[in-house]
Amino acid sequence: MSLSDTGLRLTKVELGFGQKIASLNWGLILLLTGTTGFGLLVLYSLAGGITDTWVEKQAVRFALGFSAMIIIALIDIRIWLNLAYVAYGVALALLVGVDVAGYASMGAQRWIDIGIISLQPSELMKVSLVLALARYFHEHTLEEAQSLKWLFVPVVMILAPAALVLVQPDLGTATLLLMCGATLCFLAGVRIWVFGVAFAAAAAMVPLGWQFLHDYQKNRILTFLDPERDPLGAGYHILQSKIALGAGGIFGRGFREGTQSHLSFLPEMQTDFIFTTLAEEFGMVGALCLLGLYVCILAYGMAIALRSRNHFGRLVAMGIGTTFFCYVFINIAMVTGLLPVVGVPLPLISYGGTAMVTLMAGFGLVISVYIHRDIRIPRRPGGPVS
Amino acid sequence: MNAPTFMARHDADPTRSPPDGRVRVSASSKSELRSGNDALAMAHRRVIAVAALFALCFSVIGGRLVDLAASKPEASTRTADYWPAVVRARADITDRNGVVLATDLSVASLFAEPRLVQDPARSAAALAAALPNLPVAELRSKLESGRTFVWLKRHLTPKEQAEVNRLGLPGIGFQQEQRRMYPVGALTAHVVGFSDVDNKGIAGVEQFFDNALRAFPQSGLGAPLKLSLDTRVQYTVREELLRAMVDFNAKGAAGLVMDAHTGELIALVSVPDFDPNRVGEAPADARFNRATLGVFEPGSTMKVMTVAMALDYGTARLDERFDATKPLRISRFTIHDDHAKNRWLTVPEVFVYSSNIGAARMAMEVGGERQRGFLAKLGMLERPPIELPEAGAPLVPEVWRDINTMTIAFGHGIAMSPLQYAAGFAAVVNGGFKVAPTLLAGGRPGAKERVVSQDTSDIMRRLLRLNVEEGTGKQADSLGYLVGGKTGTAEKTVAGGYKKNALVSSFAAAFPMNDPRYVVFVMLDEPTGTASTQGFATGGWTAAPIVSRIVGRAGPMLGVVPVDDKSTEVRRALFVALDGRRSPSAAF
Repeated sequence: MSLSDTGLRLTKVELGFGQKIASLNWGLILLLTGTTGFGLLVLYSLAGGITDTWVEKQAVRFALGFSAMIIIALIDIRIWLNLAYVAYGVALALLVGVDVAGYASMGAQRWIDIGIISLQPSELMKVSLVLALARYFHEHTLEEAQSLKWLFVPVVMILAPAALVLVQPDLGTATLLLMCGATLCFLAGVRIWVFGVAFAAAAAMVPLGWQFLHDYQKNRILTFLDPERDPLGAGYHILQSKIALGAGGIFGRGFREGTQSHLSFLPEMQTDFIFTTLAEEFGMVGALCLLGLYVCILAYGMAIALRSRNHFGRLVAMGIGTTFFCYVFINIAMVTGLLPVVGVPLPLISYGGTAMVTLMAGFGLVISVYIHRDIRIPRRPGGPVS
Repeated sequence: MNAPTFMARHDADPTRSPPDGRVRVSASSKSELRSGNDALAMAHRRVIAVAALFALCFSVIGGRLVDLAASKPEASTRTADYWPAVVRARADITDRNGVVLATDLSVASLFAEPRLVQDPARSAAALAAALPNLPVAELRSKLESGRTFVWLKRHLTPKEQAEVNRLGLPGIGFQQEQRRMYPVGALTAHVVGFSDVDNKGIAGVEQFFDNALRAFPQSGLGAPLKLSLDTRVQYTVREELLRAMVDFNAKGAAGLVMDAHTGELIALVSVPDFDPNRVGEAPADARFNRATLGVFEPGSTMKVMTVAMALDYGTARLDERFDATKPLRISRFTIHDDHAKNRWLTVPEVFVYSSNIGAARMAMEVGGERQRGFLAKLGMLERPPIELPEAGAPLVPEVWRDINTMTIAFGHGIAMSPLQYAAGFAAVVNGGFKVAPTLLAGGRPGAKERVVSQDTSDIMRRLLRLNVEEGTGKQADSLGYLVGGKTGTAEKTVAGGYKKNALVSSFAAAFPMNDPRYVVFVMLDEPTGTASTQGFATGGWTAAPIVSRIVGRAGPMLGVVPVDDKSTEVRRALFVALDGRRSPSAAF
């Protein structure tokens, strides 16, 4: 690489609108669209060959998410850096808001209704936590990241929303926030032994935390440990989905031929348990193909992270990738009986708008990282580039 | 634009940064750069580490998927395979596609050998602490009974078993037992039935085949009992009946789908029903099988048999007319028409306008003895040969007088189960062969027995289709499936009379009518009219639309190909005019 070339890269990396459009990561976009298409196919089958039950609405949501993704992708990564703490603050305030409102209404309250759309603050938190942590670690040196003194703030940044979400109660999202936050800390260089201590502390908290779980949450965990404990009650989900998975065999029963899922033996078949339908109709091969699609999407995310020249972008790409991974892993592990039942949808496949929009917005950020991968961002505004 | 590359590291390497003045490297920023470089190297290492972790997790779930799929080489849904069943007490019961309807689950039961128990009071207290549902006094009296063996609790959960096991009490033991499970719950409750705590079948197929089900596993074969039901169709029928029951505020409903040739029951539903896993909680009414045990007066659907009989004995020709000018008086009874035309009616008109007077006259021309013989041939006068203990025998007059002949012609003064009626109906439309209803996949072996001539069956198909195209059965049609059928509405009998507002509304149908493959029968027990039915609660308004929806949904599942009902072949096969002409060309 010639010297002048490097110099050019250091200074002239501002992109025009046309260049940005041209540099959208079409491979990733194609993968996301393809995966969603697969999901629409399964929903079509579940609805008994009718499109207006779920397919149309889901397609509209994808279109919305898609537009959001493109717009977010085209916005300069530095603007997102600047907005990171603001977004986090707003999300946190909204979480407190729903918790207070939920306390008042004596039940699970996860939504805030703002006129035309209802917003789930925990979804907003998933993305803004990534942004905020990425900004924090971007603005601190490796030495700082490795010292315990500077770790206090990010730990609070992770635990506060996780606790707020946990009392909603939404065990799935809380787990997701914790896993995602821990991964970002790990990426930023926090020493390994810290994770060991944190893990040990968490393990020690389990008996204490158990007291605070709702009965249905306890039940789900006990049932996970032993599904046959109550094959008709809480174990029903897992047993029926295992039956459906087994029924699919290698090549599946064929499109629209599933019986376990079509006959409503499976609850929530179009949302959290949709993977069973897919596995029953398309078999092991279909399920592994979907897994393959997910791996490709994740590989893109990581390649973009490795390619980014700014720490912020790298952490954002990895953070979103981790969130995505958590969705996939928790959902499939739950459906196949490897994890307790927690309400986590299968990304891009499950019927439902919130997760779809969250993830598409997240991937908008990832693509923004990709487009602006060569931009150096100073550690602090006005500071030297690193 | 380039695809992402993984070679970004050296770009940020300060030793390679150009010292050409474009970037001024101050002392402080030097350390920052070194730190940045370390951070970058660290970040890359850790991205790879995270990627490796993700890959590991994906391998785990991928492996799990392969494991789950490979553990079932065939497209099997045998629930029992997930439980460590050591010995099965009873064979599984499946539907025609192998979907498990009943299976065994291995569970532990707790017993005591009181003579070996050392400290009954303490043991009882410890057991009561582990099993909070058992009163300590009862436990103690059992343990102090001095008997050799006593059950303490049947069918423990694994957790309860572990708790008791941990107590390590002498004289207390576990017996592995089999508990019967019904994975599809209420869906096939009335057909499959259930078994008691000792695994003895006490209702439904479980009872009828009790010995066979118990013999199979011990012979080591463990071959499941395969029923003729198709869970998908069963689900459809049940869903439609439940919906109708709510819509019309009916006390109950029954419905079935039967193979018109083999008599195999593809679906057999009676609602309300119950969860066979929790039989104790089911009220008696829910456990009553309206489809096979309940007998009802069929009402106008019986005119199918009357017209077929008159045509078959040759006492009536298709274009012959019957006097329906005024109500028919016989001894102290008067027979009216609901849709009175007050004129002479042809055979198709008698059928389509559902004339009681015409049907009664038609039956009288045949004669009571021959009518009785005809119904006996169809299998309508004795208990139907179904593999269920809950099979109701028909109510038939002991002495067959003229008044009986006349009322039976339009379905009163005789009562039978929906199942029994459907079997007779099938024989009339399937080309004329007797049908013995069965719940076993594959049907019954045996030679075909002709009960109605081919020509009679052909005419009946046309009349039934005409009734759906033009008559009281319009709402039963389902586009492309050539539904043909007859409505029936009967008042319920109470102590010698009829209850005016308690109706049994039914619809008997077959499809596709040009060569019927399936018979569909639906009955509603005391429906009430709604705004959408303009207040009517009769079969044409309540039962017929259910048939339409069942055919529309089940037709594709059963592989029936829809046809163009206006096509020449269909018209030729099914045309009949109200004046009795069978050739459409003659009309023009």
